[in-house]
Amino acid sequence: MTAETRDDVFETVLNLLRKMDEEWEDSDEITPQTWLVADLGLESIDVVVLGTTIQEHYDRSMPFAEFLAEIGEQEVRDIQIDQFVDFVHQHLNATA
Amino acid sequence: MTKRTVLIGLDGATFSVLDPLVDQGVMPFLKQLRWMGARAELRSVVPPLTPPAWTSLMTGRNPGHHGVFDFFLKEDNSPHIRFATSRDVRCETVWSIANRNECRVTTLNYPLMMPPPRLNGHVVAGGWMTPRQLRLGCSPDALYDSIKTIPEFDPKKVAMDMAHEEKALEGCDRDEYESWIQMHIAREEQWFGILRHLMREEPSGLTAILFDGVDKIQHLCWRFLAPEWETGTPEPWEQGVRDAALAYFSRLDRLLAEIETLAGPEATLLIASDHGFGPQTMTFFVNAWLESEGLLAWADADQPRESDAATLGMGQLARHVTMLDWKKTKAYAATPSSNGIHIVTAEKASDPGVPPAEYETFRKQLIDSLYNLRCPGTNTRLVEQIWTREEAFDGPFLHRAPDLTLGLADGGLVSILGSDAPVKLREQPSGTHRPLGVFLAKGPGIQGGIRADELSILDVAPTLLHSLGMAIPEDMEGRVAEEIFEPSFLEEDPVRYGGVAAPAEAAPPKTSDNIMFDADAEAEMAKRLRALGYIE
Repeated sequence: MTAETRDDVFETVLNLLRKMDEEWEDSDEITPQTWLVADLGLESIDVVVLGTTIQEHYDRSMPFAEFLAEIGEQEVRDIQIDQFVDFVHQHLNATA
Repeated sequence: MTKRTVLIGLDGATFSVLDPLVDQGVMPFLKQLRWMGARAELRSVVPPLTPPAWTSLMTGRNPGHHGVFDFFLKEDNSPHIRFATSRDVRCETVWSIANRNECRVTTLNYPLMMPPPRLNGHVVAGGWMTPRQLRLGCSPDALYDSIKTIPEFDPKKVAMDMAHEEKALEGCDRDEYESWIQMHIAREEQWFGILRHLMREEPSGLTAILFDGVDKIQHLCWRFLAPEWETGTPEPWEQGVRDAALAYFSRLDRLLAEIETLAGPEATLLIASDHGFGPQTMTFFVNAWLESEGLLAWADADQPRESDAATLGMGQLARHVTMLDWKKTKAYAATPSSNGIHIVTAEKASDPGVPPAEYETFRKQLIDSLYNLRCPGTNTRLVEQIWTREEAFDGPFLHRAPDLTLGLADGGLVSILGSDAPVKLREQPSGTHRPLGVFLAKGPGIQGGIRADELSILDVAPTLLHSLGMAIPEDMEGRVAEEIFEPSFLEEDPVRYGGVAAPAEAAPPKTSDNIMFDADAEAEMAKRLRALGYIE
């Protein structure tokens, strides 16, 4: 199986976010620096579902538990798209 | 002629509420069903809880086989609790079996369907969906665009509006009850709109929809719906809430009638609930009691207290991993929804917990102690029934079940909060689950006007498959409710058993999965469970 490049993962995450974001006319353009909660207005439960959907998409389990727990301990309890993509890419490569 | 069946789920529906409403003329379609069709009480699984019960209805298997025991799942050898998802349903569903029999399926708003399985047909996942998740919850991908063409479709109405749903606390302002009920009427109409669109444009052999407002309204408004209402002297605002709740059931009844019309006389119509409903009059603070017995210890002084309205039980749910002192805890309740007690077992001699050799003795003593508890003000048992995991379930996922599942005297759910007293009476009774739900059926070959003996929720899947003319997989635990069919119909179309169900659609995660609640997600979950009445 060909390993996914970081750009591939970025595009996949972007596509999923567009599916979650398209209905909301007040949303700004999505960039790598976009915050999932603060900028896109996702509820935290949406972030959980995003993680589930990513795993479904790649048919791969990833340690989102630890990832989200780490985020929860940060001063800014939000996730930038770059951060999310890095996490997914790292774990795809680790098990590919 | 190709057979068609429509399955309508009414979450939490109970005859103790529906029958009086039928008698009062609120639900004329259900009144018609009294003579047009068959009915029976439907016994749920243990405990009678939405995720395991609907999954059992969809699979015909008990939770020990399908693997879903609660809203949440504690991974093996992991401290993390996460949402149960469609990937955790480990038995084949009736949706998949129908597909294997070349029958297209439409299934709307059923839980444990997210991420949506890839079926031949249409899936819109149910459960705790926010508007932003709707497209992801649709399968195939183009379905959401099709739904968006429905003129009255509004994603904010069909999905959960948590800002409003949150107001469904038991202490909800008087003025907010009616708008909250209206929100549920609007949501049912939205789901019906999707169903009507698909039944007209892309009809399926098996069509299923779940209306979940019944459960939510009964949780919050039980005292306005309870049979005792007729003997009371309500205040005007109470009468207003009652009228609004009746308006919900009246609208629901009209939706049922419209679905029957859409389906046509040649279709089989099955209506089922996942559990029944009744009042909860007490609160059993099970972790507080375990603490008083010396079996549970908190890691610090920040244990969740009864007065901690901000985090309530869910804060404890998500953080119990860190809030419990695992060196001193031998038994604990992880969630407020499953009424289950988990026993901490020591894998090695040096580990804390109960050594395997002492497990049976420990569990027996715990059972005896629980049976000795008494209700406040009476000398009656607080815990009426206790199931060990082997008594309640069987199957490969038995180890995921709580070691003990409690049936409380008032039929209620436990609290996992700390408290200065293990049992307290509630100021007002609230609605909570009961084991006996409803089953109604009409259609070709189904007798009219009969009341069958109690059925099991495990019987729905085989009965549904038979109504479609399909063989029943031999590993299904339920049976076809043959007594509701005309004998001549069964002679012409006998029940057939054959084969086994295929493996579940989605492979389980290969390693300890995934989602831990961060504090915000945890708070969000608290809102939802509180709104549903799972947290007092």
